[in-house]
Parts: sequence; C-alpha cells; structure tokens
Amino acid sequence: MNKAARVDVLEGARIAFFSLGANRMRTVLTTVGIGIGVATLLAIVGIIQGLNSSFEKQLASIGSNTLYVSKFPWVMKGDWWMYRNRKNFTLPQVEQIRAQSTYVSAISPIVGRSADVAFGGEQLSAVDITGATHEYLSIAGYEVPNGRFLTEADDTVTRPVAVLGASVAEGLFPGLDPVGRTIRIDGRPFQVVGTLSRKGKLLDQDQDLAVLVPFKTFYSTFGKSRGFSLALSINRPEDLRQAEDQLVGILRRVRGTPPGAPDDFSINRPEMLAQTYEQLTGALYGVAVGVGLITMLVGGIGIMNIMLVSVRERTREIGIRRALGARKRTIVLQFLMEASAVSAVGGLLGTLVGLGTAKVVSLITPLAADVQLFTIFGGVGFAAVVGLLFGIWPAARAAHQDPREALRYE
Amino acid sequence: MSALIDVQDVTRVFHVGGEEVRALRGVSFGITRGEWVAIIGQSGSGKSTLMNVLGCLDTPSSGRYMLNGKDVSRMSDDDLAIVRNEEIGFIFQTFQLLPRETALANVELPLVYRGMKAKERRERARAALSKVHLEHRMHHRPNELSGGQRQRVAIARALVAEPSMLLADEPTGNLDSATGEEIVRLFEELHRGGNTLVLVTHEPKLAARCPRAIRLTDGQIVADGPGREVALGDGHGVVTKAVGGA
Repeated sequence: MNKAARVDVLEGARIAFFSLGANRMRTVLTTVGIGIGVATLLAIVGIIQGLNSSFEKQLASIGSNTLYVSKFPWVMKGDWWMYRNRKNFTLPQVEQIRAQSTYVSAISPIVGRSADVAFGGEQLSAVDITGATHEYLSIAGYEVPNGRFLTEADDTVTRPVAVLGASVAEGLFPGLDPVGRTIRIDGRPFQVVGTLSRKGKLLDQDQDLAVLVPFKTFYSTFGKSRGFSLALSINRPEDLRQAEDQLVGILRRVRGTPPGAPDDFSINRPEMLAQTYEQLTGALYGVAVGVGLITMLVGGIGIMNIMLVSVRERTREIGIRRALGARKRTIVLQFLMEASAVSAVGGLLGTLVGLGTAKVVSLITPLAADVQLFTIFGGVGFAAVVGLLFGIWPAARAAHQDPREALRYE
Repeated sequence: MSALIDVQDVTRVFHVGGEEVRALRGVSFGITRGEWVAIIGQSGSGKSTLMNVLGCLDTPSSGRYMLNGKDVSRMSDDDLAIVRNEEIGFIFQTFQLLPRETALANVELPLVYRGMKAKERRERARAALSKVHLEHRMHHRPNELSGGQRQRVAIARALVAEPSMLLADEPTGNLDSATGEEIVRLFEELHRGGNTLVLVTHEPKLAARCPRAIRLTDGQIVADGPGREVALGDGHGVVTKAVGGA
C-alpha cells in the first residue's frame, strides 16, 4: 500500500471510530435499524439451516445407495388411482432382477402394515410391522446389537419370529432382555430373536417403533391380499444412475410393459424426499430472505439519513481537513468507513440477537436451529456492505463540497 | 533571487446567477522568501478571493500563479490538496480547530495527511506548540482554551509542517486588542525566524506593522509598498505598482 492510501485508510478508520464514540446515542439508534434486519435474516436462516441439517441427518439414516421400487411414488403427482391400478410385484420378478442386474447387491421384497404389539401387561399401538427377508439387513443398514436378524431359513419355513426396533424393545421390555421372549402382534405369538439399534426419526416419524418379521410369515399371518414393494441396495453409490436405468429396463421386461407405455412402477430414492423438502424450504427461504432484505433496505436508508446529517454537521471539519491537505478520496473514505462501521456494529448486535432468537426458538419448539459460522460473518459483512452502499452518496457529497464554502459554514 | 510567490496577471471571475462578477482583474506581484506582506482592502475589494487563490483553495480564471517554482494555476483538485499540505500554513480568523480533538491532535493534522508516522508526528507537534508557548495546554480541547490560545494552536498547526508560507486571514479579527497584540508579537517573532508571512486584513493598524503591504481595490492592486505608508498614508501617493522582489 502506498503512503497516500495508507493515510486514507488509517486516518479514515480513526476518524470513523472516533465519531461513532462521540455520537453514542445516534450510533446506537442507527445500529438498531440495521441490527433488526440482520437479526431477522439470521434467525430465519438459522432455523431453516437447522431444519435442513437435521433432515440431512435423517436422510443419511436411509442410505444413499438404496432404491425402493413400488407402485406408488413417494412424491405423488396426479391421480392416486392411476398408481393404485398398477400391477403388483411378484416374487419371480424379484428373482429375475437379482439374476439380471449387474449393480444390485441385495434385494428384498418388503411389505408393511401397522398393528398393536403386546408383551405381558404392556401394549404399543400403531407399530410399523414390516415383512422382509434376511437381505433387508444390509439394505436398510440395520445393526443388531442383541440377538440375530432374520435368516433365510426363517423365511422358507415361515417361522413366527420377530426382530424389534429400539423403541419397541424399550417400550415393551423396560429393563428386560427381549430375546427369547414371546410377543403378540395383533394377538398372534412371535418369538423375539433380536433387537435393532436406534435409527432416529425421519420427518417426525419414529423409525424405531418397528417390528421386522420374515416376509412369508407376514403373508401367512396377515393375509395375502396386499401387494409388496422392493428394497434394493447397489454396490457403489456413484453407480446409482446407471443402476436405476438398468432397473427400469429389467422391470419393464419382466412386467411386460408395452413399448411406448409409461412405466407401471416407481423407483424411489431418498434424495427425492430431499428435493421435495428443498422445494418447500426453498420457497420459505426466499420469502424470509426477502423480508430480511427489505428490513436491511430500511436500515440502510436510516444509515444514509444519519450520514447526511453527519456530513452537514461536520461541513466545517471537512473544510478544515481539505485546507490542511486531505484529498477528496480521503474524505470519501472517512465517511464510507464511518457508515460501514455503524452498520457492522449493527450487524454484530443483530447477529447476537438473531442467534439468541434462533436458540430460544429451538429450545421452546421442535425446530432445531443450527447457525453456521459462515452465517455470522455473513451477517456482519453484509451489514457492512449495506452501510458502504448507503454511505456512498453522503460521502460523495461530503467530498465534493467546496472547501472555501465549507470553511465558512456556520 | 527567485520569488517564492509569482503572480502574473491573475483574474478570477465568478458567475453568480447569470451575472459576471470580476473579483480579481489582472493582479501581478511577487513575494520573496522571508517577507512579511499584508494584503489590505475593504470588503469586496477581492482580498478574500486573492487569499483563496494564494492558498490554493481556488484557481485563477486566467493568468499564472507560481508557488515555490510550481505552476499551481492549472492543478487538479488532488494535486492542490498536496500543495496546500506541503507549502501553506493557514491561520484563520475563526481559528478553524477541530472541536473534539485536543490541541496536540489538531496540530498533528497536517502531518497526518503527509503520511508521517504517529511518533514523529507527536514530537513535531509538541515542538510546534512550544514555539507558540503552549506546551502546557496541549492535551486540552479548543473549548478549554482562551481565544488567544486557540489562535496560537492554529499557528502551531500552520507551522508544524514547515510550509513555504504562512497565510493568515484576519488573524486578530476575533480577539480583543490585548490578545491581538500578543498574536502580532508572535508573528514578529516568526518573521524574525525567517518565515514567510502573508496576512490578509482590513485593519490598517495591523497592516502598518508589516514591512510591506499591498492594497486591493475593486480587484486591482492600487498600492504596493512599505506597510506604514500603504496602510496609513493617503496611500495612493506612494503607489509603486511593483512586480517582483522587494
């Protein structure tokens, strides 16, 4: 930095902070405007970021190399009846996929319903009962810390056995080891062979309030009328696209879909949920940011107003400085720094308030606020930039005053 | 000996509401280093305009103004700021101190714009304040100082950057006569110390104390000679429309 520029910056900064200190009340009032803007923005952004990151964690619990094939898409567009009338999947189709796909590492038919589960005097209702094969263990990414998972033999001989989700195990067997005991699902006895470790919630739904039973046992117990879906995992997550394309081809062939007709099945990926979710929060984000920006605009106009007052008040000072050798750009810089310093202070206050609000919201509501460091710097920096922008005009006015006039100003 | 100030046929025309006001109508004179010159005239005589031109706060409409070998009559605004900083020490009637800064900080200001380091700045400012006998008040703000003391701070500020000339505009105008006398004595001291002083005033008594005075009337020099004669005599008799060194 050359000497003149150094003078401009150092002296500008010194005067700016000096003047802030000298007009404390005014500084505080001005900062409030910009502070409210930043606080609004940050609180909203913080809450949305919190939502997003907790959702991402939940999605990760499903697995990124997993596909679910079903008659129904997770995100429905159009008529439910259209999907309802699609043909059901069959077990031979499952075997054909296993034989023909080069990407699929595991595949399991899955079928589900909700039922009451009881042991002794304890009963849990609306438990998610899933019928699946032994391969579902790796597809769903379950861990079995206690006992064992379903086996191939469980399925072939339709054993009445069950693996309990963590919430069920804890709900029915507080302080007891469930393995080896017999529970009743809608009144029918099932022997517990293992328990699963906790998976957490997905979109507010408890994934652990679940019981897994062998696929064939499910049908023999609860009736054959309902159709099933397919859960598959592929070898490498990066092959997801190709695996999906291949799967479409195999499914159309084995299900005899006429050429030109639309697919009569839906391939669902966890990230589809993420997309829907992002569309939803994206709109919210847009509105929130818009509100924040308007608040910042109001704050910025406040800054501009106060800077114009400040320039007028210090007309003589500007004249003196110009007479003693300050160049125009030194004066411009002085006022720009003052404006952005006021704004940055406001930004900092707003950041603290915004963070506090987000924290309080996350304490008293289920929304989890998560404010990233970058947001904080962003808030302060953005405020400073707003100050800078709205300071340009007053600063230019200050610098372009005729020093002769300025010295005579009363 | 070359002139420190060489003014050749300088005019300054203002346009006020479509009307042309000729504040300076062809002014020529020179001032050499170490001179003490008063510029006198009634209000409206053009002396303030001349002071602004001499102080590089304004540029002539035509003519040439050489200051310390530099032609400043056509300089850009930024270059003029540098010239003001390096060549001119202003002393104003209303002192023009920054009210919120201490005497010391006020005196430091020209050095700030020269880009001098803080420590050296402070030393020089302290030395300048001692030249005007104010070392003991340097940490006071202007509102804690008397009028005379304020003007001495302003003089210290004018001296601190060691400019080619001190340019004083009615320096005693806001002071009582005793304090004014104090300031004039200080000028005499500075003159003896070799400083070049240009003093703009309408007071004949003050101009009479200067070795040389230039009288302006209607934007023209009507007298230029020894201060006493130009200021107090019937004036026009001793007109020596001199150009160049004394």
